Amino acid sequence: MYKKTVTIQNATGLHARPASDFIALAAKFKSYIVIRRKGGDEDDDANAKSIVNVLSLGLAQGEEVEIEATGDDEKKAVDSLVDLINSKFGE
Amino acid sequence: MEYQGNPVSEGIAVGKVLRYERFTPKIEEKTLRPEEVEPAVRHYEEARGGAKAELEHIRDSFGAGGEDKKKIITAHLDILMDVAMDEEIRQAIHGKMLPAENAIQKVYSKYIRRIGKAKDALIRERATDMKDVCTRILRNCAGVREQSLAVLPQPVIVFADDLFPSDTASLDRSKVLAIVTEVGGPTSHTAIIARSYEIPALLGVADALRLVADGERVIVDAVDGRLITQPTEEQVRAYEKKRAEFAKKAAETKKYIGIEPVTADGEKIEVELNIGSASVPELQGSKYTTGVGLFRTEFLYMGRDTLPTEEEQYDIYRKVLTEFGDRPVTLRTLDIGGDKKLDCMDLPKEDNPFLGNRALRLCLSHRDLFKTQLRAALRAGTIGNLWIMFPMVGSLDDIRNAKQVVQEVRGDLDREHIPYGKNIKIGIMIEIPSIAMIADLAVKEVDFASIGTNDLCQYTTAADRLNPTVAPYYQSYHPAMFRLIRYVAQEFKKAGKPLCVCGEMGGDKLAMPVLLGFGIRRISMGLASVANVKRILSRLTVARAEELAENVCRQETAADAAAYLKSALADIL
Repeated sequence: MYKKTVTIQNATGLHARPASDFIALAAKFKSYIVIRRKGGDEDDDANAKSIVNVLSLGLAQGEEVEIEATGDDEKKAVDSLVDLINSKFGE
Repeated sequence: MEYQGNPVSEGIAVGKVLRYERFTPKIEEKTLRPEEVEPAVRHYEEARGGAKAELEHIRDSFGAGGEDKKKIITAHLDILMDVAMDEEIRQAIHGKMLPAENAIQKVYSKYIRRIGKAKDALIRERATDMKDVCTRILRNCAGVREQSLAVLPQPVIVFADDLFPSDTASLDRSKVLAIVTEVGGPTSHTAIIARSYEIPALLGVADALRLVADGERVIVDAVDGRLITQPTEEQVRAYEKKRAEFAKKAAETKKYIGIEPVTADGEKIEVELNIGSASVPELQGSKYTTGVGLFRTEFLYMGRDTLPTEEEQYDIYRKVLTEFGDRPVTLRTLDIGGDKKLDCMDLPKEDNPFLGNRALRLCLSHRDLFKTQLRAALRAGTIGNLWIMFPMVGSLDDIRNAKQVVQEVRGDLDREHIPYGKNIKIGIMIEIPSIAMIADLAVKEVDFASIGTNDLCQYTTAADRLNPTVAPYYQSYHPAMFRLIRYVAQEFKKAGKPLCVCGEMGGDKLAMPVLLGFGIRRISMGLASVANVKRILSRLTVARAEELAENVCRQETAADAAAYLKSALADIL
């Protein structure tokens, strides 16, 4: 298991298009990947490969999230997704 | 049999019916027997596979330039193939012994509820996409094929409850002979689309879908507002003839599009264009018009996740101003709220949106948004002949507040040494009775005004123009409408300031002569109405228009006014 914390930086948060980009990238990895609001409830763990799960979190700009992966490519998966969030999704 | 309807786009059609119905799933409460579980899972998988194939086919059918539409379809595919929902649906079938339809409905509803409650409007909007996808799988479960107006094997007359922008966006114009719907009035989306596509349309035909069967032959008379089912051979022949005559007259009318807009006795009238997208076909109207009487700027803000930047707006405003050279371009500042919503702004839901924080009110409460648009407009105004107009003005306070913001933006630009237009005219829309009734005071505060007859009618008659139940109360020819317009025209004439009419009445063949009679010399309309308006003008004298105007104000009801105008103008129409 490998995890990292990152802050949502793009102005519109993890809404429609950024969320699509996020799950598309997550789907490229074999590991089981979870995204959760920092300090949030465990029930709120979202499957990072599920668009409806990610949208349900309703993550806005400035919020901290944890990305956690378990599997063969866990480190690469987490690092790639963190990079994507840090890139502000090209906004 | 004969039925009445509202002819919102003129024309005649004889042809076969296509009933266009949205699929509504029927799901009964039920649990499976153990041996039914595996077939239910397969049923789900097949339905999902069918839905996937449909979406992929739609996506691939959009050519270049369809990037926005492709994005929407890709979002639908993401939802359809969602791993979490897929797992939950399978669990519901296996664990709770639910049939495929019930499992799909249950899981989708859960997420639609959850996402519909999101704080962010952009996320909430996705609930609508999820509903679309849910209906798509359920329709595949039921084995019902998708109906589309985009691919029609033969010419048809489309019958529907109502048509949504999603239905008309891809409509095959060459195959739709006419449109008949159960709801909708002259300012509805369907009406506007039908007119711009020149498709005859009869709206507000009660129970239209139940009156006809697929493939049966009907006559649509969208001149006199009649639907004829099971016509006799004689009727068909008569209407084929009427259709040919109408087509001939329409072709005849088209010839007038290029003439100078002058009355029979030589009075020059400004015939201006309403535009709403600055697209190439729209700007072609430049050849036939004396300016832009209404440049709707909402399109810049619609169907996108982020607000348009100052530069984006500047580029488009310049494009329109360049096209029209020294002819006036009347730019209406953002007019949203009410019937128009934006993805790029999280606006609270209001109980009475038409009476709420819309248009100028919204701009005054979102100064940054307003200032960005004004900056772009003022900067673009260094070329061409720009007029800026504020919508939804109800008092002198509104005018003064809006002008104050313009002044602040000018100050900002001065400080930043950014050039901007110095001779830009500032005016207002007259669409709230409270401003119409103090036209004598308002005229002193502005350089010009334009009467928006659609909203003026809605606010004068207190009838929501989108609510079909109160459509009979929305009366454009109400004597109060004519009296209000007459008063406004009189005050602007006295002050010597330009007054335009840019609502539906400007392009309306019965109302336009009355406007002329009130002394209005500037009318603005969609390109589709230009030729006919010029034709009517060429046959009308000012004296005759004045007589009409005087008489129409004395009519007792809207129906009286319509009947009077129809008979008084019979030789011209």
